[in-house]
Amino acid sequence: MNNKKKNGYSFFGWIKGMLFGMNSMGNPEVSVLEEEQMQGPMRTIVKNFLGNKVAMTATIIFIAIFAACFILPIFYPLDLTFSDVTQQNVGPGFSMMKVPKKLEHNIADISSGSSFGVGVDNEGQVYVFGKFTDKKLGQIPENMGKIVDVEAGHNHILALNDQGKLFTWGYDRFGLGKIPLDVKDMSGKIKEIGAGYHISYVVSDKGEVIFWGNDNLLDIDISPVQKNVEKIVFNTSTAMAITKDGKTEVLCKTELPIKNVPDEAKTGAIDIALSEKAAAAITKDGKLIVWGSNANGELNVPEEAQGKFVKVEAGRNHFTALTSDGKVYSWGIDNYGQTDIPASVAKSNIVDIKSDCHQNYAIDENGNLHKWGLKGYLMGTDGSGRDIFTRLVAGGRMTMTVGAIAVIISTVIGIIVGGFSGYYGGKIDNILMRLAEIVGALPFLPFAMILSTIVGNKVNETQRIAIIMVILGILSWPGIARLVRAQILAEREKEFVTAAKAMGINEMSIIFRHILPNVITVIIVNVTLHFASSMLTESTLSFIGFGVVEPNPTWGNMLKGCQDSKIISEFWWRWVFPAIALSLSTISINIIGEGLRDAIDPKSKER
Amino acid sequence: MLRYIAKRLVYIVFVFFVVSILMFGIYKSVPGDPVAMQLDGKATSMTPEQYQQLYDQTKERLGLDKPVYVQYLVWITDMMQGNFGISSIHRVPVIKLVAEPMKNTILLNVVSLVLVFLITIPLGIATAVRKGSKFDTGVQIGTIVGYSMPSFVIALIAIVIFAVKFPLLPISGVNTAGLTGSSWVMFKDKMYHMALPLIVMTIASLGSITRYVRAAMIEALSMDYIRTARAKGLREKVVIYSHAFRNALIPVVTIITAWFVSIFSGSVVIETIFLWNGMGKILLDSLLKQDFAVVLAMQMFYVILTLAGNLLMDIAYGFVDPRVKLD
Repeated sequence: MNNKKKNGYSFFGWIKGMLFGMNSMGNPEVSVLEEEQMQGPMRTIVKNFLGNKVAMTATIIFIAIFAACFILPIFYPLDLTFSDVTQQNVGPGFSMMKVPKKLEHNIADISSGSSFGVGVDNEGQVYVFGKFTDKKLGQIPENMGKIVDVEAGHNHILALNDQGKLFTWGYDRFGLGKIPLDVKDMSGKIKEIGAGYHISYVVSDKGEVIFWGNDNLLDIDISPVQKNVEKIVFNTSTAMAITKDGKTEVLCKTELPIKNVPDEAKTGAIDIALSEKAAAAITKDGKLIVWGSNANGELNVPEEAQGKFVKVEAGRNHFTALTSDGKVYSWGIDNYGQTDIPASVAKSNIVDIKSDCHQNYAIDENGNLHKWGLKGYLMGTDGSGRDIFTRLVAGGRMTMTVGAIAVIISTVIGIIVGGFSGYYGGKIDNILMRLAEIVGALPFLPFAMILSTIVGNKVNETQRIAIIMVILGILSWPGIARLVRAQILAEREKEFVTAAKAMGINEMSIIFRHILPNVITVIIVNVTLHFASSMLTESTLSFIGFGVVEPNPTWGNMLKGCQDSKIISEFWWRWVFPAIALSLSTISINIIGEGLRDAIDPKSKER
Repeated sequence: MLRYIAKRLVYIVFVFFVVSILMFGIYKSVPGDPVAMQLDGKATSMTPEQYQQLYDQTKERLGLDKPVYVQYLVWITDMMQGNFGISSIHRVPVIKLVAEPMKNTILLNVVSLVLVFLITIPLGIATAVRKGSKFDTGVQIGTIVGYSMPSFVIALIAIVIFAVKFPLLPISGVNTAGLTGSSWVMFKDKMYHMALPLIVMTIASLGSITRYVRAAMIEALSMDYIRTARAKGLREKVVIYSHAFRNALIPVVTIITAWFVSIFSGSVVIETIFLWNGMGKILLDSLLKQDFAVVLAMQMFYVILTLAGNLLMDIAYGFVDPRVKLD
């Protein structure tokens, strides 16, 4: 790397100038030895390092990764218990609410699935957009005629045309792929259609309900309201209906909090909505009533939400309601911005709203579409529906912390053991080196695995992680100990040590305050390289399931299970991002280490 | 020399015993009752008294009624006599259990070792001779990338290239399930399955060995005798291959020796990813199933390998370089 001449004009040259207050541009070429005489060894090292462009690039990359991993988790906090079955394996990108231009100003109906949307314009043309977790979602059937109603389920779509004919496409297991024959024999015309988590349903104007799909997951007893349904709403497990005689019925068989319908809502509700754990209803005189479990804050209706309500809609864990004077309110969980109503909505007179899953759409009187909620994920989601980006930065922090603490432990032990061993020699040296040999003889990975199995079962997760750091540290000190010993052996015969001894300075002080600073540079290089290998070891351990385990993320355990060819080819974002982050960090740390070595010992560059 | 070896052997025996006590202690501290595990399911079909009797009998049969140090002595004597215990999951002697995986691991490691040296030695020499050229810088960066990448990331990339984008190679197993035929057919099939783990294993070790060879070669090329050889007017080829390379081999031979020992121990990660039935996979499976008899036997085996490897490396150093004095 022969860039001595160029570096005077570079950015690093400028930094150098700032640091040392000298004009490096005009410096004549001087040999290393002369330089050292003029400016001291430390300054030479820094100067050499700053002049090494590859190493400086690596330093900048590493600092960026490091900063990202330690700063970003503050803004993107990780909820360890979080998982969302509807958001599994969603690809990266922010297109979930990217409504096509043609649809945007000519909208008849719109609906959101787990990670995609479907809309129909006033001419009956159907559009799908967003992230398709099932490729068949994009294959809109041909010759459907004029579609008047579309509904998106978890990953399938149901559409109704003006002739009363139904169409469905997308995910086709559990019999979702075709319309059951019962629908034809249904009494009356289809009045309403809907789609939920692996389920589709239709309601006729005579009040009959037919639903099909994966009803194993459902906890529904439809019999109390069958043939008497005015409106029905589903969540992933159950349903709620308004009957033709105005009663509100929750159809679950088990006793859930939502089953206790408040008296006000029991009769005469004009609209109902059902989130995962709560329910909402609007009474005849426009009063909004919510009940059920408040796990996600669905019962905390905002205080400013006043007026006569006309419509309420539910996502998975939030509600959105519309008043007669065109005001919209959202409340409930806000992990994807479901309740962050944009300012443009407050200014407009909204005439209709539609909420599903994590998305909200509002249409104002001019036909303009407003939308808020989950747009998508920067790096997609994993098999449990967790955002990979959030886990990546938190996992980076974990990997680096474990790596760094392990290195600190092994370095401290290594310096102490190596220091004593090298300085005293003889019996102490022999015993300590045998000890190093014993620890060195323990096969690292298997031993760390067995230790973490045995110790790890008895303690909680935080203690487990701490123990892993200690295990990694304790098993890897012999290398550093040998290095320090060799360096101290070389130094201890020098005059300054004899002088220090003659002055009666105690031996501890001689070893650690007089000799150690002379060999610290070599140790620093070694620690840097060791940090990279420590991160690799942690990742490897976590990858095979013996390090940090789920739900705590590390770069290693994020890659766990990703060797599956289905994940590799279809869900590439699940392994590409952690793999890049981990590789980039270790590569840059190693380059920094090599650069430091070159800077400290310019002769090694000649090699 | 002999004195040195004898001294080292004494140390090895000492270290071995300390480690064995350590390992045995850890093994003993594993939660769970081995006797109850042996009698798994028998409790329901007996009266409590009968069960207690059988329990005590089994405890005595397994030697668990004796004090811990006696148990240790029994165990280490068995170990010395080649009796490595019985797998509690498979109910077969450990030695039988690891026979097949050992063969697979050795096959994979030997082929990989040969490939690695066939690639790294010429590459190391070429970069050393063209030190500072673009080629050298490129290879240097490549090798840093190579040794910085965890092997499972290399494995994932290899799967993408060779099994997903271009479906050429099988991604798991040792043989095609249900395949029978002549031994040649079986061997070909095994080789076919070995290709992907082999590629990954080879790439994973290329980086560090190339750097090692390069450093050794540069060291050799900077010696005075090289200058002398050039001054004599020898052809550059002769200087490089005959004078420099032979001397550069000294450190290289020592790492080959160390590697030779390590061919018996499998790579946990690579074997697990590719479901290659080798030592590493057996170790991981046994750990996951808490089959600690197998784990302990394999651990002790690895300890011996490591110690023997260290000794062999030092002796090899002394042999190839007479200037090195061992004491």
